[in-house]
Amino acid sequence: MPTPCRKFAWIALVALSCVAAAQRPPSVAPPGSDTIRIPFESYTLPNGLTVILSTDRTTPTVAVNLWYHVGSKNELPGRTGFAHLFEHIMFTGSGHVPYGLHDRLTEGIGGSNNGTTSNDRTTYFEIVPSNYLESALWIEADRMGFLLDTLDLAKLNAQRDIVKNERRQGVDNQPYGKVTEILARATYPADNPYSWDVIGSMEDLSAASADDVKTFFRTYYATNNVFLAIVGDFDSAQVKAWVTKYFGDIPRGKPVVRPTVSTVTLPGERRFSYEDRVQVSRLYIQWPTVGEKSDDHYALDTLGSILAGPRTARLTKALVYDQQAAASVSAFQGTNEDVGEFMVTITPRPGHTLTGLEAVADGIIERLKAEGPTAEEIQKATAGQELTFVRGLESNLGKAMGLSDSAGLHGDPGHYKIDLQKSMAVTAADVKRVANTYLTKGRIVLSVVPAGKPDEASKPAESTKVTGAEDTPRPEVKR
Amino acid sequence: MNALNRPLSVIVLVAALFSLPVAAQQALDRAKIPPPGKATELRVPTWTKTTLSSGAELIVSEKHDLPLVSFSLIVLGGSDQFEPANRRGLASLTASMMSEGTKTRDGEALSNALQLLGTSVNAGIGGDSGAMGFVSTTGKFAQTLDLLADMLVNSTFPAPALDRLRAQRLVALNAARAQPGAIARRVFPKVLFGTAHPFGQLTTEETLAAITRDDVVAFQKAYFQPGRAVVIVSGDVTPATAKATVEKALAGWPAGGGKPDFSYPALPAKAPTTIYLVDKPGAAQSTFAIGNPGPPRNTPDYYALEVMNTLLGGMFQSRLNANIREEKGLSYGVSSSFAFGKGPGAFRAGGDIISAKSDVALVEFMKELRGVGGSRPVTDEELATSKSSLVQSLPGVFGSVSSIGAAIGRLKTQGQPDDYYQQYGKSINAVTKADLVRVAKQYIDVDHLSIVIVGDRATIEAPLKATGIAPIVVLDIEGNRK
Repeated sequence: MPTPCRKFAWIALVALSCVAAAQRPPSVAPPGSDTIRIPFESYTLPNGLTVILSTDRTTPTVAVNLWYHVGSKNELPGRTGFAHLFEHIMFTGSGHVPYGLHDRLTEGIGGSNNGTTSNDRTTYFEIVPSNYLESALWIEADRMGFLLDTLDLAKLNAQRDIVKNERRQGVDNQPYGKVTEILARATYPADNPYSWDVIGSMEDLSAASADDVKTFFRTYYATNNVFLAIVGDFDSAQVKAWVTKYFGDIPRGKPVVRPTVSTVTLPGERRFSYEDRVQVSRLYIQWPTVGEKSDDHYALDTLGSILAGPRTARLTKALVYDQQAAASVSAFQGTNEDVGEFMVTITPRPGHTLTGLEAVADGIIERLKAEGPTAEEIQKATAGQELTFVRGLESNLGKAMGLSDSAGLHGDPGHYKIDLQKSMAVTAADVKRVANTYLTKGRIVLSVVPAGKPDEASKPAESTKVTGAEDTPRPEVKR
Repeated sequence: MNALNRPLSVIVLVAALFSLPVAAQQALDRAKIPPPGKATELRVPTWTKTTLSSGAELIVSEKHDLPLVSFSLIVLGGSDQFEPANRRGLASLTASMMSEGTKTRDGEALSNALQLLGTSVNAGIGGDSGAMGFVSTTGKFAQTLDLLADMLVNSTFPAPALDRLRAQRLVALNAARAQPGAIARRVFPKVLFGTAHPFGQLTTEETLAAITRDDVVAFQKAYFQPGRAVVIVSGDVTPATAKATVEKALAGWPAGGGKPDFSYPALPAKAPTTIYLVDKPGAAQSTFAIGNPGPPRNTPDYYALEVMNTLLGGMFQSRLNANIREEKGLSYGVSSSFAFGKGPGAFRAGGDIISAKSDVALVEFMKELRGVGGSRPVTDEELATSKSSLVQSLPGVFGSVSSIGAAIGRLKTQGQPDDYYQQYGKSINAVTKADLVRVAKQYIDVDHLSIVIVGDRATIEAPLKATGIAPIVVLDIEGNRK
């Protein structure tokens, strides 16, 4: 699920991080390995700010990442999209930093900056030449401590317009653009904060007020709700002095109350069809699964790569290669803090129906549930993890995001190692078990079809027509 | 850095530090911008150059801090040199066909072997260069390279695989007709360069249908030749072991091939500035692509153009984005760029604009394009910021084995000298304000622009016409006149 961010694809690295950073820390290092790791030290200031430092002198640059434990799931009904709108306001200047200076002291000196918002957290980062680290910390401290000093309605309105354009560009004007919010609404009951997408609705964006900004800032943008990771070429003692100097006297806030999120189990299949301005039909099947707090997400990740991706993956091999009925197939587990979803997407080739493709895919999934994967499938699915991890070590920003994700979600910056160990330890029996536990009849099946061609939906007679998230019926609550 | 290995003792030490008095904090003047420290040093990686027995050049750059190796086999020349006009899409299909099986491994066996090595071999062919490559852990380098060599030398190009790949490409082509950005990416070059120029020729249903297995076999043989190839190995290797490993793996690659001819046909005659409107009924936004053919990468004006474009549309706070996004709120982001390459790559400014304000945005785009050509003088700060943005981004480029390999590869594909990166700062800093105005006027021809707008005609046509900026020609989504 793409994560809205302040800027669109200014540099490749930034684009990548906007999309990929939300869900998982970079996966894993080989268990027991001493050379393949992220050396770090971590401490907490008296005001509750958690600081994580890791030096890497490969290039004379530093990445600074601030991880605020607030996202769209902290929004109130009628204010969807607010956490992300707020992220934009964080770039409009603060008490001692006039608008524009932040960009001059980052991209203007060869660096970059951006922010990203997910369901669970909001991050802000700078990449700067290492001699500009102090000013980057000064800017971040100023907006953490003094954002409201310069806030006015004009600033809010300007960012509101920009965010509405972001929604138009990413959702309203994109083929298949509304799928994420339709699936969220179809999967989660109204009182579940994962039932709306991060970008929010136009109506709610219009409703956001300056008072909302102030309340949100005071509630969630306090030092005790933040993780500051600094990775790159710096002197550790010097950086600690700067962190104390700029962040030390920002007051802590009240303890943050987190939303209670109930586990979702759908009692049966819910089928929908959506006529969109698309040329080619597409089938989406989504099962509610588990979030970060359940270890089952490791086996669900493995299940995804056994089902789709390489040409030997089961759905890919059958649908794209052997039967040549699909142009493309994907399958993956998306893991948020409290919930997760397993999603299969199938795009047909001409002459093949979504109804037929769904039946074939179901047969393959049922067979996997009955037999479990082979030892070689497990081996192939995990073989790439070491390389992925080591390559992640090459990026200061990637490491800063991984360390702060680990700290924020698991209370330990070093949790990425546990992630590695658990991910590498997934067995065929684990995959078989999670497939049987989660890939059940309780699922959403959404057909997106070209306007005027409702019959292209999978089992059209059994599917409820929707025109967007607004008229998608929510699931019945089963408590 | 022993302390880093002992987090427990560090925590104790840090706790002690924070119990010290905080007198310094009370004197903190937050309005004072912290000055930068001592300027950072540009550390460009070094590399060795040698020639393989096949005739290909081998470049090796060592980096031993992590057990990683990046390998790329770069071919000079691309689809614009090797693809016939009625076979557009052939280069891309050929690159994909090299994963479909060799004399001793079928497609699944290749895929299995690569998955077990934990990596993948990527092949791709662009307009004026192509590459095959991978990143692996040090221990898997030789085995992965053997698979790449097998794909390069022994591919069998099974006909059924071609039919499958073709069918997948046809679905993607059709799906893209619903995507405004994809429509603009096809129509814009066609309008600028015309179908007699390789830059204006598109992959279509017809060109894909015409491609045969014989075409693929012939293309692969003619294109992937060592006489026009540069092999770059960067990372945890030494020049001697890299050379031995590469020589052994590529022993079966027959010598041959020369540097391609990079001449391009003449550009179409200039036409007065025109709006080309592609109707996308009900579109929430209008996708803008405004531009003209530009200079090749080897223009002596390259550095002046880089600085000029940076202040016009290369950064977040550049004139275009500061005005159209930040000040007017008409877009999520607009930018500009020159597609520098061997040929006359396009200058393009654009972005996605809220439909109802398409006319306002067009007026602002034109104002800024004229402005950088002289009507809005460049300030000292703009000049300094643009230069430092470019020069100071360079030290961060050499962080990963793949980015080092890519940086060396760019010197080869762009024909730049070995000390290019060392000289870059000096070249950028020599640019003057007068240079900026001169290159803006010369390379952004405001009287002969093509303005492609993909949007809801019913909403935007009359207001665009009322701006009086240019006549409107309506095109279909393939870029043909209606």
